[in-house]
Amino acid sequence: MLLNPAIIALISGALLVSGFAVYASVMGFQIIRWWDIQSGSERQLMMERKTYLITTIFAYLLGLQLFSLFLFVYTADHIHGLFVGAMCAAGSLNVNDFGYPTLVLKVINFLLCGIWLMVNHMDNKGADYPLIRIKYKYLIVVSGLLVGEAFFQTKYFLGLRADVITSCCGTLFGEDAETLAGGLAALSPFPTKILFFLSVVLTIRTGIHFMVTGRAARLFAALAAWTMILALAFIISFVSPYFYELPTHHCPFCLLQKEYGYIGYPLYFSLFLAGITGAGVGVVDRFKEIPSLREAVPRSQENFCLISMIGYSVFVMISIYPMIFSDFVLDG
Amino acid sequence: MAKITKTFNAGKTKAFTALRDIDLQIDMNRITVFVGPSGSGKTTLLSIIGCMSRPTSGRIFLNGRETTSLTQRFATEVRRNTFGFIFQSYNLIRGITVLENTMIPAYPGGSKHGIVKRKAMDLLDRLKIGSKAHQKVESLSGGEQQRVAIARALINGPSVVIADEPTAHLDTDLVMALLDIIAEIKEEGKTILIASHDPLIFQSSIVDRVVNLRDGAVVE
Repeated sequence: MLLNPAIIALISGALLVSGFAVYASVMGFQIIRWWDIQSGSERQLMMERKTYLITTIFAYLLGLQLFSLFLFVYTADHIHGLFVGAMCAAGSLNVNDFGYPTLVLKVINFLLCGIWLMVNHMDNKGADYPLIRIKYKYLIVVSGLLVGEAFFQTKYFLGLRADVITSCCGTLFGEDAETLAGGLAALSPFPTKILFFLSVVLTIRTGIHFMVTGRAARLFAALAAWTMILALAFIISFVSPYFYELPTHHCPFCLLQKEYGYIGYPLYFSLFLAGITGAGVGVVDRFKEIPSLREAVPRSQENFCLISMIGYSVFVMISIYPMIFSDFVLDG
Repeated sequence: MAKITKTFNAGKTKAFTALRDIDLQIDMNRITVFVGPSGSGKTTLLSIIGCMSRPTSGRIFLNGRETTSLTQRFATEVRRNTFGFIFQSYNLIRGITVLENTMIPAYPGGSKHGIVKRKAMDLLDRLKIGSKAHQKVESLSGGEQQRVAIARALINGPSVVIADEPTAHLDTDLVMALLDIIAEIKEEGKTILIASHDPLIFQSSIVDRVVNLRDGAVVE
């Protein structure tokens, strides 16, 4: 089962990223303890040289890490045919106890790594390493989660057995299931649609307000993050049935299949991009009083805000496309 | 410069300390010549001042701004906008013309091509080498190549010109011509740093200060 190129790539990639993250964390402890930009000592200059190299490499590895979320889900979907009862990634991930925790960790790491990249981006804008300690403290936390993710992912793939009968998404995401997923599937479509569109409109409206006035950055960030979480619930609740044209089919993974034009990938990508960049507007807002970042922060915030609003717009357009153009109607 | 030390291969058996605890203040708008035998650390010191390499320890302040801690992108910006370099062997790019060689350092700055070209031609004319603007550099004599190197060093309007052994391949007449050019550049308000062990240079009347280096340290 391991001799699948994607699985080998995922395990190798996770080991590489987590291994480097541990190395970077060791460097991080030194920096947090010894960093003194005023000092001209040999240790300080060596740390200055090393940190530039380490964070550059780490930034590229995190880029791969972001890609690995989609590769993981694609792989889980791709191998579903090996397991009795599995119709998509939902079933594959349920084969052992490590599938869903791996997915959850990957999503969390995707968000945290995205925000780390934004913090790193801001730090590189200042000539005096203004965020060096914050960045490395954050990196240490992210490194722990990356190691955890690598562990769970490896256990998941090593624990795949074809003689296991797993549940299909119809059971896991059925309206009768007594789980969170089941609860989301059972939500009434009409009020959730209202809440969905209201959230997106509020987020974009606040984003426009921020772009024009430079105020309410943190409100926009909070709304963007909150809308992302809600949107994940809405995908299960009413977005996915429209694509399947089946009111009882709420699976968030089948959208990733060829049968539905792989629409899940741009849908989730636009959503995560919008959520991360939106949250990033608020994260970097803390740094705008730092002298060396006084000009860079507002410029970057505007870019993040614009990307977030475009992301949400794309997400909404993809989501409502079947609502407008298909004959299927979801009442309730 | 505050306690500048540069050690190559630090921590290894082949470790070599090129500079030791250099504490020095260099006045702007002056001509300072670093004198010393081969291996005394002149070139190493100039490369550190010019943000081309970093010291092992110590700090350099340029008009109050610390430069040794700068990351590559900031150091590149400082280097491009502040310093002009004249290398010992000129380092002109063979196969392209005098004009193109002169313009190259200005390209990353993003200025319009026409403006850069006009500026380059003005410099070449001023250095009396404008007539050779469209010739390949390898066809020029040593003195002519020297003047192209000077024009290239001035294209970005630097406030500091660094020249490393600029007279190594020149005869006496050309050295004197070079000194005239350097005097003119100083009159424009630029700071000039020269590494040389040529007496024609460090004994010249236009030089404001001579710093003696031996075994990587300043000799008073």
